[in-house]
Amino acid sequence: MDTLPLLANGFSVAFQPLNLFLVFIGALVGTLIGVLPGIGPISGVALLVPLTFALRLPPESAIILLAGIYYGAMYGGSTTSILLNIPGETSSVVTTLDGHQLARQGRAGPALAVAAWGSFIAGTLSVLGLMLLGPLLAQWAIRFGPAEYFALMVFGFSTLSALAGKNMAKALVATLFGLMLATVGLDPQSNVARYTFGQLKLYDGMDFLVVAIGLFAVSEVLMLLEEKASGATKAAVGRVYLSLKEFLFSLGAIFRGGILGFLIGVLPGAGASIASFVSYTVEKRFHGPRGRFGQGDLRGVAAPESANNAAAGGAMIPLLTLGLPGSGTTAIMLGALSSLGVNPGPQMFQQHPQVVWGLIASMYVGNAMLLVLNLPLVGLFVRLLSVPRWFLLPAVLAVSFIGVYAVNNSPFDLLLMTLFGLVGYLMRKLDFPLAPVLLGLVLGNLMEINLRRALAISNGDWGVLFSGPIAITLWALAVLSLASPWVLSRFAKRGSLDDAEV
Amino acid sequence: MAMRSKRAATDRVLGVLLLGLALAYGWAAKGLEAGFISDPLGPKTFPLIIAICLGLSSLYLIARPDPGPSWPGAGFWPRLALVLASLTAYAYLLVPLGFVISTTLEMALLSFLFGTRTWKGLAAGLIFSMVVYWLFTRGLGVPLPLGKILTG
Amino acid sequence: MKRNTWLVLVISAWISSLAFAFTPKNPECIAPAGAGGGWDFTCRSVGQLLFELKLVPQQIKVTNMTGGGGGVAFAHVVAQRNEDANLIIAASPATTLRLAQGQFSRFSENDVRWLGAVAADFGVIAVKADSPYKTLGDLMAAWKADPSKIAVGGGSAVGGQDHMKVLLLAKAAGIDPRQVKYVPFDGGGQAITSLLGGFIQVFPGDASEVRAQFEAGTVRVLAVLASKRLPAPYASISTAKELGYNVEWIVWRGFYVPKGMPIEAYEYWSNALKKLGQSSQWAKIRQDNSLGEFFMAGAPFQVFIARQVSAFRNLSKELGLIK
Repeated sequence: MDTLPLLANGFSVAFQPLNLFLVFIGALVGTLIGVLPGIGPISGVALLVPLTFALRLPPESAIILLAGIYYGAMYGGSTTSILLNIPGETSSVVTTLDGHQLARQGRAGPALAVAAWGSFIAGTLSVLGLMLLGPLLAQWAIRFGPAEYFALMVFGFSTLSALAGKNMAKALVATLFGLMLATVGLDPQSNVARYTFGQLKLYDGMDFLVVAIGLFAVSEVLMLLEEKASGATKAAVGRVYLSLKEFLFSLGAIFRGGILGFLIGVLPGAGASIASFVSYTVEKRFHGPRGRFGQGDLRGVAAPESANNAAAGGAMIPLLTLGLPGSGTTAIMLGALSSLGVNPGPQMFQQHPQVVWGLIASMYVGNAMLLVLNLPLVGLFVRLLSVPRWFLLPAVLAVSFIGVYAVNNSPFDLLLMTLFGLVGYLMRKLDFPLAPVLLGLVLGNLMEINLRRALAISNGDWGVLFSGPIAITLWALAVLSLASPWVLSRFAKRGSLDDAEV
Repeated sequence: MAMRSKRAATDRVLGVLLLGLALAYGWAAKGLEAGFISDPLGPKTFPLIIAICLGLSSLYLIARPDPGPSWPGAGFWPRLALVLASLTAYAYLLVPLGFVISTTLEMALLSFLFGTRTWKGLAAGLIFSMVVYWLFTRGLGVPLPLGKILTG
Repeated sequence: MKRNTWLVLVISAWISSLAFAFTPKNPECIAPAGAGGGWDFTCRSVGQLLFELKLVPQQIKVTNMTGGGGGVAFAHVVAQRNEDANLIIAASPATTLRLAQGQFSRFSENDVRWLGAVAADFGVIAVKADSPYKTLGDLMAAWKADPSKIAVGGGSAVGGQDHMKVLLLAKAAGIDPRQVKYVPFDGGGQAITSLLGGFIQVFPGDASEVRAQFEAGTVRVLAVLASKRLPAPYASISTAKELGYNVEWIVWRGFYVPKGMPIEAYEYWSNALKKLGQSSQWAKIRQDNSLGEFFMAGAPFQVFIARQVSAFRNLSKELGLIK
């Protein structure tokens, strides 16, 4: 292996004062951007690409800055999910389930800290994986065809029961609503506009952010406004650090989430959102009734947050080894790289070693920096909860407006957001879970398009869906995931209850 | 018994509405015609499956409703309507008035509804939106509308 | 008396400023898609270089306006910015193709004024490196024998650019366009991934899209869809025309402007593009980004667009993409 000298070379790039400074700035700005409600990694990176051009940095510095922002935003994304119940990106949707419960119980500090530790450990794990297994895993990414993606989406949906509240029928309705939203827009396979009502702005479909901000943020404000009428209770700030016991309690979830997230993150198009859904479900199933998932279990934060950061590292593999973007964010980075004169592709390791290895080394540095940066910030963020509501909530909405508006420069999106705010409020009043709507919206598109791609390629033969080992494995996992609540509950009766109390 | 059925009525009504939605959605899907170049499934299969599943789920809701929710008092609905109307107005006024003015107004209204004094809400809204505007446009280079009033 | 003199001075200054030169104030370039895409690149690279060459007095602000494959930006320009003299909008054949297929609702190519094109990418027909199709002839023969065996995957929707390329090729070879099996992917990157995975057999992409894979030897390019051979690394690849299929696909990169823009402003912008097109700096940017030489501005470009849209319209009708 001649990886080490190359890595050493990479570190010499990463440790150049300018690059070190950029990693720091990227991590800081990324965290702050990610913390802002309504602005996740994709919009964060998209909004800041022009800035990178304007600074006229050399390519390796530019990509290091963008990667820092990407990572930072992934870190920061959990903050609003936990504190405010507002996911800023698809991959933090499940974090709201247990994270916000923890915050309401005065354990926002440990929840944020476990997210930071999980992100650090899983992030570092994924950089290691990227370095050692990159080319190998790139081959795994290529093996994923439409049939495999369809099976993966079915697997993703099989996790639904883990997200459901009390009433499965209502969770199903919420998912179907998300699926309906996913069908809005121009159907690429027939060039037919579906459910667009003649609005050109709907041709690209429903934007995740608009739906998420409406359903979660606007409806949260409406709920609290109602609550205020009947005398509100303020959430306690509580402890801001993570105890060793809590850390060890979550460590298993961090590793499981990290490894799963890394493997799923490598797949182009699937990425961090499926990784977070799947890792949450696996964790919940793994512990069965012994866990307190949905009511504030630290592992319910540790698993998805580790998974989505590991997925961010995984998504770099197809980008660096094949020159193919694995996620929306890496697609933007790819565009940025080619505009800077670096053509990402199979030969990038040879042609631009300083870019690739500098980036890899800076990912190690960035991860460590993010941890050091974020742990003290936990104390600060938690104090946001003690900001009076009359200021905090309007301010949160104001920043959300920027996220909704600035990405597309479209006031129309603000109208849609308002509509979804009302829908979200009614759904909450009627006990419909909100997360499945986003699950349906995100996975629905991928599910339909990949099914149709698979059938188009096979000339309509459904057998193609079960034709490869990967697809069959995924189908088996989906069945297992659906059956596991029953299977595990048999085992769990004999299990101990000791770790549920931590 | 009478009490119970009254409380369950909300989900029943909702079930009927959702059934209507499923029918309308499915009906619209039936009309989706692809040109002669298309794939084996076509644009309407997936929506039709969704419509059928939604229809079945809503029947289930009608048959087995949950107890009804606790609705807020009558005094809350005008406030809800006010917030939604102000957000709608915000969408239309953001470009002409600019980010700072429209956001200040929106924040002031919400602060007022959360029970603070008007001047306090206005001041906080103005300072906050100016800081945010400056941070995004100057610090990050993200363009936000300045407003046609100010630019003339 | 004194006041009148002033008035005359002011008015004459105003008139002369109209008659002589137009200078843009707060110039803006709309990229009708997100950051990192082709239109975004067109806006940013041209905007930056215009400023560096001092062809515009200020930095050109880039606005990303996503939606409807450029339709949202088009509608915005026609409906709200029709008189704006300080606005240029990035465009490509994706714009003209959608206009031709009536996808920008009621708007047509005559609702804006076409400014010019500054570079071009060219279509290519690519297969996997270990594909049994060594030449375009091999592929066409197998395709003609059984069209259902060849899955073509592209980065654009049905009726989009990548689809049109293969439909043209099929037409040239006498294959029924209805038999062409086209699978749309979300961007060229995903289509290439599927090509490498063996899920699709042919990728009708652009030269710049497959360059990295081509240089690495993982992808074989059977033909380029240009009027003459492309420079390195494609110098050894024949054009489709040389191989007997008269198919070209020029992905020009250029701009349109609001229709109501004053004529002085239009002249100003097209002159600026001409100077940019002649500069060595632009040639370097083009080469760095694997773009070919293609320049047109002003009246000839308007004629070019009118012809292109009507050709696309006829073709789409003929191929059954529109009624």
